[in-house]
Amino acid sequence: MLATMIKPLLKNKRFIAGACIFLFFLLLGLLGPVIYRVDPMEMTWDYEKPPSAAHPLGTDTYGRDILAQLLNGIRSSLYIGFLAALISLVIGTIVGSLSAVKRGVMDDLLMAITNIVLTTPSILVAILIASYFRVRSVEMIALILGFFQWPWFARAIRAQLMSVMSREYVQLSVLAGYSDLRLIVEDLIPTIATYAFMAFVLFINGGILGEAALSLIGLGPTKGISLGIMLQWAVLMEAVRRSLWWWFVPPGVAIVAITASLLIISTAMDEVFNPRLREE
Amino acid sequence: MASRSIVKYLARRFVFLLVTYIVATTIVFILPRAIPGNPLAQILSNLSRVAQAKPELIRAAERALMEEFGLGKPWYVQYFEFVSKAFRGNLGTSITFYPRKVVDLVIPVIPWTLMLLLPATIVAWILGNSLGALAAYRRNTWVDKLVLNGSLVVSQIPYYWLGMLFIFFFGVRLGILPTQGAYPQGMIPNWSWTFVLSVLKHYVLPFSSIVVSALGGWAIGMRLMVIYELGSDYAMFAEYIGMKDKRVFNYVFRNSLLPQITGLALQLGGILGGSLITEIVFNYPGTGYLLFRALTTLDYPLIQGIFVILIASIYLANFLVDFVYAVIDPRVRIGQEE
Repeated sequence: MLATMIKPLLKNKRFIAGACIFLFFLLLGLLGPVIYRVDPMEMTWDYEKPPSAAHPLGTDTYGRDILAQLLNGIRSSLYIGFLAALISLVIGTIVGSLSAVKRGVMDDLLMAITNIVLTTPSILVAILIASYFRVRSVEMIALILGFFQWPWFARAIRAQLMSVMSREYVQLSVLAGYSDLRLIVEDLIPTIATYAFMAFVLFINGGILGEAALSLIGLGPTKGISLGIMLQWAVLMEAVRRSLWWWFVPPGVAIVAITASLLIISTAMDEVFNPRLREE
Repeated sequence: MASRSIVKYLARRFVFLLVTYIVATTIVFILPRAIPGNPLAQILSNLSRVAQAKPELIRAAERALMEEFGLGKPWYVQYFEFVSKAFRGNLGTSITFYPRKVVDLVIPVIPWTLMLLLPATIVAWILGNSLGALAAYRRNTWVDKLVLNGSLVVSQIPYYWLGMLFIFFFGVRLGILPTQGAYPQGMIPNWSWTFVLSVLKHYVLPFSSIVVSALGGWAIGMRLMVIYELGSDYAMFAEYIGMKDKRVFNYVFRNSLLPQITGLALQLGGILGGSLITEIVFNYPGTGYLLFRALTTLDYPLIQGIFVILIASIYLANFLVDFVYAVIDPRVRIGQEE
């Protein structure tokens, strides 16, 4: 089953390009800090130096190595993205499938909550919550971000399941006396798997961009480094107006490359698996 | 008949948004009280450590804070006071700018934010949708590939980072446009030509960075919508009976725009968030910049006040979009929505 899924994807040029870019940055984040063993927080007297042999991407105001910051930043931004995506996926799946299976009052209640969260500007609520914590761990930021981006997925899951549940094979399982849980795991989850994967990919983007936004206004993780924190430092030290391009360009390029490659992957998957987009 | 179903639809949306607003303000109320380590108690103790502030000012701010949050009263009294104040537009007193009222601080910065946000959002929406429709119409030509691949990348550029690139390139390197503020420092806002002209000059970079990074998302969405619609029965039928391409496309375009209008309502929060941060990068004197100052000084009454106002305006904008939708979509107009 897996082979039949992957083969048409590998014929899609867009998918290949997106996957290559993403894997490249994933490897940078995973292996980069292991191979390039420079402490991103170590201050030196070589401050605000452009790229050179000693510092391939130059240094910041405190003489800290930008490449080391970038590699560690990619790692923690990806970590936040994955964690936030996992949280959103779990909440969205639970809310959406409960709503579809239970119907009635449960459905009304869950959809009311979903619509309220959907209409509420999530990044603003994230800013408000983060502002009340003096110490913010990387995990906490992921939790805050993941907690608000699930609604559209819950609604999509519910719609998809409702349509699947009117099919015969599912009704047979109901007649056979399957429990709700068994029904969800055996009959329903397989029908939403590709969909969930695409949502997961977009949730990672939400997490990475959300972290960058929170960090830029000073509400990111209080310990460690991330792509958003690099940008925040660059803004605080007026790197842009002082032409220190090697400082503020790399973290932005990394953010755009990672999120765009994930979006390209999900778009390509849609092109391959969605019959309404296939050419005749 | 027609107008009654619009009214019914809008009334339902209004009640929903009102309930949502009450939930949102409740969250704003609960947060500072629910979070362990009580941030309010922390500010009170921190206030005394602020060296520059005079002792009598600290005591006044402390009293204001106690008064603001109704500390010491039962929670339901606090809650009732909070909500009724929020609805009457009394949002309390700022700590950083004590004794100025939160409302008096927020009202003057709102026009700057609106002036940046509204035109940029509308221009990006129109441009993005046109590009997306064009790409779908010319599907699989170089135009389509350029628009789609370009949009996939551009849509992921955070507004504020594009703003930084623009500042660096047009402001610092080429030196042709001002890079911060909404007008030159030292100038007093007035309606003279020189002032208006300098405001426009300061406007170019933040405006264009929002437009460019926002239009990609609309183009991607619109392209997909038009492709879907072109494959639908009515469009195929129109094609089979030999209707001119242009006319078919006209129908398809109008149908594809509807979901994009709903999309606009859903994106409003994200757009607002992004443009608030863009203001910070440009030192643009709008709501985002005020919020940033409030956040750095942990001025909770001001932070809360800005939120109550921002969230209310998001819901108001949502309602306006619903209204436009109801007027445009015949299914709502004749009363068979969904």
